[in-house]
Order: sequence, then structure tokens, then C-alpha cells
Amino acid sequence: MSYRYGGNRKRYRDDYEDRRREVIETPEDRLKTAIIKFGEVDVVEELPRLEQQIRDFQPLNIPFLSEALRISVTEQPYKIPFYATLLRNLYNTPDSIHENTPVLGRLILEDFWKGFQAYLDKVAWRETRLCIQFFAHLTVAGLISPESMVALLQSFVAVLDEFGVSHGRAKKAAQAAGEGLIIAGPVLKAHSPSSVNDLITAMHTYSESTTNAKWLVALSSRASNEIIIPENAHEVLDSLLNALDILNAADFAGTVDCIPQPYLKDGATTFDVPKYDLPSVLVPPEIIEVEGITSEAGSDEGRIKREEWPEYYFRVFSNDVSPDPTTPAGYVIRSNLVDTLDIFEINRKESARLLLEYPKWNLPGTFKPKPGSTIEHEPVVGKDWQLDSTVIETILGAYLVLPQSSQKPIYYISLITELCKLSPSTAGPAVGKSIRKLYSALAESLDVEVARRFAEWFAVHMSNFGFQWVWKEWVPDLLLSPQHPKRAFIRRVVELEIRLAYHERILKTLPPEMEDPEAYVISEQAPGAAFEYEDPSHPHHEAAQTVLNLFRGRANAEDVITHLDTLKSMLEASDEGHMDVDSLVRSIAVQSLLNIGSRSFSHLLNGIERYLALLRSLASGGVSSSGGQGNAKAKSDILTAVASFWRRNRQMVGIVFDKLMQYQIVDPTDVVGWTFVNGSIVGGVREPGMPLNLSVFEWDLLKGALDKANGRVIIARRKIATLRKEDDDARARAKAKQGMEVDGEIKPDETDNVENPALETALKASESLVKEQKAALSRTLEGFISCLAPPEGGSNPNPNSRSVIDAAAWNNRATWDRDDWNAWETWGWYRQFVREYAPYLRKYTNTLETVSFSRFEGVNDPAADLLRKLWHIATGQE
Amino acid sequence: MAHVVTPLDQPSNYKDSQARVDRSKQAELLGKSSTLYIGNLSFYTTEEQIFELFSKCANAEDGGGIKRIIMGLDKNTRTPCGFCFVEYYTHAEALACMRFASGTKLDERIIRCDLDLGYKEGRQFGRGKSGGQVRDEHRQDYDPGRGGWGAQAQRLEIERRREVEERYADAQDGPGAVAGGGEDWKDQGGSQVENKLKRGRSPDDDGEQARMAQRSRLDDDMDINRM
Repeated sequence: MSYRYGGNRKRYRDDYEDRRREVIETPEDRLKTAIIKFGEVDVVEELPRLEQQIRDFQPLNIPFLSEALRISVTEQPYKIPFYATLLRNLYNTPDSIHENTPVLGRLILEDFWKGFQAYLDKVAWRETRLCIQFFAHLTVAGLISPESMVALLQSFVAVLDEFGVSHGRAKKAAQAAGEGLIIAGPVLKAHSPSSVNDLITAMHTYSESTTNAKWLVALSSRASNEIIIPENAHEVLDSLLNALDILNAADFAGTVDCIPQPYLKDGATTFDVPKYDLPSVLVPPEIIEVEGITSEAGSDEGRIKREEWPEYYFRVFSNDVSPDPTTPAGYVIRSNLVDTLDIFEINRKESARLLLEYPKWNLPGTFKPKPGSTIEHEPVVGKDWQLDSTVIETILGAYLVLPQSSQKPIYYISLITELCKLSPSTAGPAVGKSIRKLYSALAESLDVEVARRFAEWFAVHMSNFGFQWVWKEWVPDLLLSPQHPKRAFIRRVVELEIRLAYHERILKTLPPEMEDPEAYVISEQAPGAAFEYEDPSHPHHEAAQTVLNLFRGRANAEDVITHLDTLKSMLEASDEGHMDVDSLVRSIAVQSLLNIGSRSFSHLLNGIERYLALLRSLASGGVSSSGGQGNAKAKSDILTAVASFWRRNRQMVGIVFDKLMQYQIVDPTDVVGWTFVNGSIVGGVREPGMPLNLSVFEWDLLKGALDKANGRVIIARRKIATLRKEDDDARARAKAKQGMEVDGEIKPDETDNVENPALETALKASESLVKEQKAALSRTLEGFISCLAPPEGGSNPNPNSRSVIDAAAWNNRATWDRDDWNAWETWGWYRQFVREYAPYLRKYTNTLETVSFSRFEGVNDPAADLLRKLWHIATGQE
Repeated sequence: MAHVVTPLDQPSNYKDSQARVDRSKQAELLGKSSTLYIGNLSFYTTEEQIFELFSKCANAEDGGGIKRIIMGLDKNTRTPCGFCFVEYYTHAEALACMRFASGTKLDERIIRCDLDLGYKEGRQFGRGKSGGQVRDEHRQDYDPGRGGWGAQAQRLEIERRREVEERYADAQDGPGAVAGGGEDWKDQGGSQVENKLKRGRSPDDDGEQARMAQRSRLDDDMDINRM
């Protein structure tokens, strides 16, 4: 056909233009690339060549060279020692006759400092920290004076003493100083032992003050009033301090065993030029977000600050397989790997490749050689670790950090997938071992949120590798209570796998013991819809059919509403008049609509959109009355109808709730309220009327509602910021225009006082969204309190919410049954709620506290005490 | 942060032949787009499966989420033909998919994501001659997840089968219906290849490499391949 021909021609021209627009690589670009790619083939061979290339480059452009070096240092942390060597070699003065020519290396270093200062001004922590590592190497190489290096580290440790310093800030400052000290320790300790000791002591003092916060995020859901941190937990700052203590005890003689120092191999550490004195710095203060002013700042778009917690890393392997992160070598390796993970988030494939190339940049003998590798190293005693295991452990550790990982969870998941594709024979077994280790930790009070992420990783990973898992080895655990974390995990994983694939596919992968419906592993049927009025023998089958037929015939919403009114009067007149006819009619209407939209997500959206007027009318209470913010009972009925219709498919419950919130049929607060009352009757193993169990499914619903409420506030803030900016720009333009018309009449400045109506609307919207946010948070807190510290005679309280937090209770867990595990899990989600939503809760600390906790004043109730203690820690009051 | 490696969230070279924008305008639009084109889906993959995977790139806390999914359909049969559009509320979520979902498996096939200008009426239909995607028109391999052979090959296949079926329509029975013809000769009949339409899986990950290589080679065939 002719259009194709023409199309082709057009495309060719297009591409040709594209090519022409391509930038031609300049000699400077080439040198920059050479600097960035330094060492990728053979660092020893390349060093003199690159040095010469830099020296030969004309015209001399110091800012350009230092920028290339800065990029190299801050984006390839594993290469820092080698860049230090490069700079050190640029200190050599081959031409000793011209004593007055400035030393090239020195010029670059001085300019490099400016870049560091810029990172610091922006409070770009990672870049700042990596530059400090670079300076530390240069101190050992003899380029930088030890006294100025000590001063630099001191100014970072000083941050720990700031009044009310946030944990995030303190942690990053301490890491920056501590990592610099690991590297520069040998020189600094020799220069001034007391300063080094003081630095370490100051960091210890800080770390000891964070015990409460640590308790909240230590990867363990031991519910008890006692503040216990599990012995095998690895907090990043504690690991660093432990490593520093080990090094310091031997005056940093150990640095050489954990940090490559290629610059010491050849060449002296004394030069003709005096050592560079790093200028003194002040770490700029934290940007404080003041409520209400945020929107005016505009630039940060009201994003909520995170990372306020100590960081615990899950440990999979023993110290002979992967390094102990509390030792100097182990800490350095993990820090390098975590930085690599974070930096290369933009390209997971490259990230995987670089992680597997890491041994090249560490000391020889640190890792076992790859199978079939030609390079022979003597294994170092106490090292000789397995690379893939170390890398997988580090990725999982970063993925499982509480309350949130620093990158998107799916990044870590797909990164592990890439590693397994790159190196199936070594990464695969490491993944298998990690799964088994995490699975066994489930029985040892592994935090519920960690377990949730574990299940998510497991399902997505299996989806990428043919769903091959040896389920058989977990068959004996089917003897445990159905609510035991291991069984809950198995159920959850199977459910998630089915969502990613389909029922028969997953059923096929399970051993017969797990196929048995009595095992509560997998449902008998594929997760389909369950239209309550489907069965012709159902008393309301006929009524539902009439509604269904209207939907099928695409009747307009008004006609359906009219019909529902008729139906209501009919039902009231019949002998069923004694029951809640309003609820019944809502249920029939909602379920029939869902039935029409049950074929796919798109069908659902079409159904909702076509009958928005009907849904609004239903939500507003009286079937025919309209308008208003809706009626809580009616909205709860709608949610119940959804949950009933999709009781065999919990994914759909979440999806429909989300869209009902999106279309503003229900509010996030309605979903929260509904979840605490009804959640666990959906497709769970709990029978109606039993105590509430807040499992991961209910948590997902709560999270969906809270995130919706919080996300709306952010959108509203952004909108205001944009409108304000437009407004300002318009005014500025108007002013400029006025100024130009010198001869025209000068009008009084009217425009300034008129508020932009769009802005006014946006401000009002924001106000009500903030109200809704607060209500959703408050309802959640209330829900947890009424579950965990139920008042006498509360509706279906969990009888064991108090007994499971007894210090001795955990040791008797072998005898725990449904109510015990339910209570334990609910406590776990409460912990996640307060720590994950802490940044939001902190905005309303006082109001929420008065509303929810004042009733416990003077009451002797261990559950109330624990609720309050966790609340206080999360909101930064304890 | 992209001095060392190329980020994965760059749009491909694809240019929608039916979109009336030039390349620079397109690049600008893609720089804000919150819609993704998803390719190499199995015909059997459901919107809910797509939702499950892509919700992992959503960021509700930041005001995002999956807005809608538009399933790509064969324009004749109105059945899924192996692509879809996923629309988010924010651009950042679309970028996250490019980084973390593109090149991973969904329903045991390696899927491909690309930033897209956004859904326009009619774009949900395949643009191939046979109703499906153009890439399925000339495909030479047997892909059970995408209806077996490519459409053209399938047409050939059907043609061949019809010939085979018609050939002996005049066959008779009884003595003398079969010629003697001499010793050692045996009638071989026609061999048939069954066109399996059963749900199947992509045979191997390695296929991805080959497909990708082919993709970059035939860059100017891109839009033919895509729609």
C-alpha cells in the first residue's frame, strides 16, 4: 500500500535529521570518558596512560578535569582509591627544572574542593560522604594535611550534638565522618590520638541515645513493653562503630586489610608542595518544613520527608559465607555495595553487572574467584567470601529496611532477577538460601512488614523464574496453626502468585498436601466473582435480575434509581419488611453493577463511570435523595457489597475500593472504618463474628486508603504552588507592562488585590483534603486502639491482645492458637502504622493524642501502655 | 546521575506513524507522559495480571496510582492481541516501569515497556492487515502465547491445510480405488501440522535477546513492529 511507502520515506528523512542532530564528541568529552572509565580493563596498565593523557591535554582546563574527577568519585565509589592514586600521580613533577610551574594534581584538588562545597551546600549527603572518602585516601597518600582532615570530620560529628537533630541527618553525618575515619585512621591516629578517640566517643554517645527508635525498627515484631533489641540485629551505625572500635584498638593497623591503598604501592607520601589544608566547613542546617509554608516554597511540592530511623539490615549468611558487617572489612564492603545499589537505580542491568564486578576493586583474596576464573589469588584467611551471596544478602538487607526501603521495592526485586539471569549458577542458590533463611525467621518474630515484603519478593521472583519452588519442604509446617506466620506466608505467596499468573498454573506447582482445601493454602476454585443473587433459589434473585437487566440494557442512571425506589417499597411491603431494606437495596444495586463490570478492570471502570450518579445517590443514604457528603452507613454498605461480591478475589476488593475512592463515592476514612469492622471476613480463614484479625490483606486496604488521603493532599499542594507561581508571573508581567506605558493613565494597582478564583478554589480543596487526611489517620489510630486495648464489652474484641504482649507469652508460642497469632499480627501492623506514617502523624500529634489516648489516663493497662509507648517513640516524644 | 551508565527510562526510537507531531514535540510530550505502551504480552494475559505487576511501580502516597488499562485488541475479532496501554496519574510512575518492569516477565513472557504519547481513540486496535499487531503479521516463529504462527504464516498454514483436505475429496472406496503402481511404493499422504491454539508460554528467555537485536536492526520498521 502506498501509505507505507510514503511513511517509510518520511521516516528515513526523520532519522537522518536525528543523526545530524547528534552531538559530535569533542576531545574534552573523550578525555572525560577516559577518566570516568578509568581502570575498567586493567587499572595498573591504564594508570600511566591516563596520567599522560591528562598531562598532554591542551588547553589546560582545571575545572573540567576536577569535574570529571568529581563525577567519577561520586558515581563510582568502589573506584575511589584508584582515583586517589591518579591524583597522587598527578602530583609528580617530572620536570623538576621548572620549580615554579604549579603542580597539576594540586590545582585539580583545590578545584575539586569547590565541588565538594557545592554538594555540602545542597546537603547532598551521598556525594558529600563519598568526597570525604576521597579526601581520606588523599590524607593517607600525603596530599592533605591530617589536621585539616580531622577538622573536617569533627565538623560532621558536631552535627550529632545539634539540638533536636533528626535521626536521618545524624545518621548520615556520622556515616560520613566514620567512613572517612576508617580510611584515614592510620594517619589521623598517629597525628592526634585524642581527636580520633573523641570522634568515636561522640558517635557512641549519639547511638546510645537512639535505643527507643531502634526498638521500633529492629526487624522483629516481639510485642512486649520491654525494650529489647535482638542480639543478631545489625544497625548500620552500630556496625560502623563496632568496626571503628576494632580498628581503633589496634591504632588502625587493620585499615590496610580492608581498604585498598594503591597509592602507597609506589611513590613516597612526601612531596615538594606542602600538604593541602582543607578549608573549614560548617554543615548547613536542616531544611525545616513548616506547616503551611511548604506550599509557598513550591519547589519541594510538599513531599514528605522520610528516613528518620535507624537502619537494620537482615543477615542471611554466616560470617564465613558473607562478611560480618560489624567488622571493618564487612562494613566497607556493605557500604560500597549499598552505594552502588543506590547510584545505579537508573539502570538495574548495569547495576547487576557492576555488583558482580565489585571484587575487582577490593583487595585480592576478599572473595572466592568465580568458577572457571583464570585469575588466581591466595585466599585471605578469614575472608574468601562468596560474592553472589554477599551481593544478594546486601540487596535483600536494603530491601527489607524498616519502615521503608530507600529505593522503590520493585527495584531490588528486579535487580535480583537480573543477577540471577547474569549468573544463574551462583546467584540462584544464594536466592534459595535467602528464602529458606527468611522463612525460618518467620517463626522467630520476623516483623510483619518484613514478612509482607518477603512474600512480595518471593511471588514476583518466582513469576520471573517459572514458579519453580520446592514447596514440598514446607509441607510439615501445615501442622502449625493456620494463623502461624509461616502458614500465613504460604497462603499470601500463593495468592500473590495467582494474581501474577492464574489459578491452575499455580495449583500445578504445589504438592498434593497443599492442594487439599483443608490445608488452607490455595482456594479450590479460581478466584472469580461471587454474585450473591445468582442462584435462582435466592429469595432476592428475581429482584436482582430486574436491576441487572436494566444495567445490561444500559438504562440511564435515573431510571435505575427510580426502579430501586419501587423495589424498596415493594420489599418493605412484603414480609421482609422487618429487615434493613435500605442495605438490601444497596447490596443488590452494587453487586449487580459489579456483575456487569466483572469481566475486566476496564469493564469495572466503564460500569462505575456510566452509573456514577446512581452510586452517588446510593452513597448519600436515602436511595433517591442526592447530594451531600454521603452517609456513613450507606457507604459502609457499598463497601460490604463489594467485599461480598469479590470475596473470592481479594485483589479485586482492593482495586474496587481504590476506584470507589478515586471516583469519590467513598472517602478514605470510610474504607479505614469499614476495614476495622469487617475486613477479615473477606476470603480469609476467619469466620464472621470471630475477633478481628488485622492481617496483611486488611493492612493493604488501610494503606490504600491512607495513601490516597495523603496523596490527595500532596496533589492539592502542588496545584496551589503552580497556581501561585502562575499568579506571581502574571502579576510580574502586568507590572512590567504598566511600567512600559509611561504615557498612559496610571491606574491604581487593582490587580494585586484580586485573588485568583482558581487559587481560592484550590486552597479550599486543600483545606478539606487536609481535614480528610487527619480524619483517616485518626480513624486508623482509633481502630488499632479499639482492637488492641478493647474496652469492656467492646464489639468482638480479641481476648488475647493483652496476653500476647506479656514478656513470657512469646516463649509459650508453641501453644498459641488463632486468637494469639491474630493479636500478635495486629500488634505488628500497629507498629508499622506508627513508624511508616510517622511523618504525617507528627503533624497532628497533639490532637490525635488527646482524642485517642487521654481515656487511658491513670488506667493500669499494659496494652494501653504499649500503644502509647510506640506512639510516643514514633512521634518523637520518647 | 547518568554519567556512567545510560538510564533505562529513556523512550525508544518508536514514532507513531499516525500521530501528527514531529520528533522534538514528541520528545517533549514523552518527557511528561504518564502512559506506557506494553508489548509482547501473551494474548491470554488479563488486565488484572497487568494491574498486579504495574501496581508495584505505582506511588499512591505521592498522588499516583493506576488510572486505567487499555487492552490492545484485534480489530476484527475484538480479542486481546498482545499489547496494552497502562496509564498512571504521574510521570514518575511511568518512568519507574521503564526502569523496573520493562524486560521482566509477566505471565511468563518478557514484556517491553515504552513511554507513550497517550491513548487516542482507535489506538486500542491492532494495525496489522489481519487485525492483530503488525509484528504478528510476518513473524516466522511459533509463539503459543500469541496465537501460534504469525498471521501470514497462519494464512499459509490454513491454505496448505485446505489444499491437503481438498486433494483427496474425490477419493473412492472399493476395489480398484487404489492403484497398484508397482512394488515398494507406499502412499505417504499429506503431513499436517496442527495449529495449536492452546494457551502456551514463550519457550525461552533467550528469545528476548534475539528479539531485541532484531528490533534495533529494524529500527525504521519500529512502528510496524509495534502496532
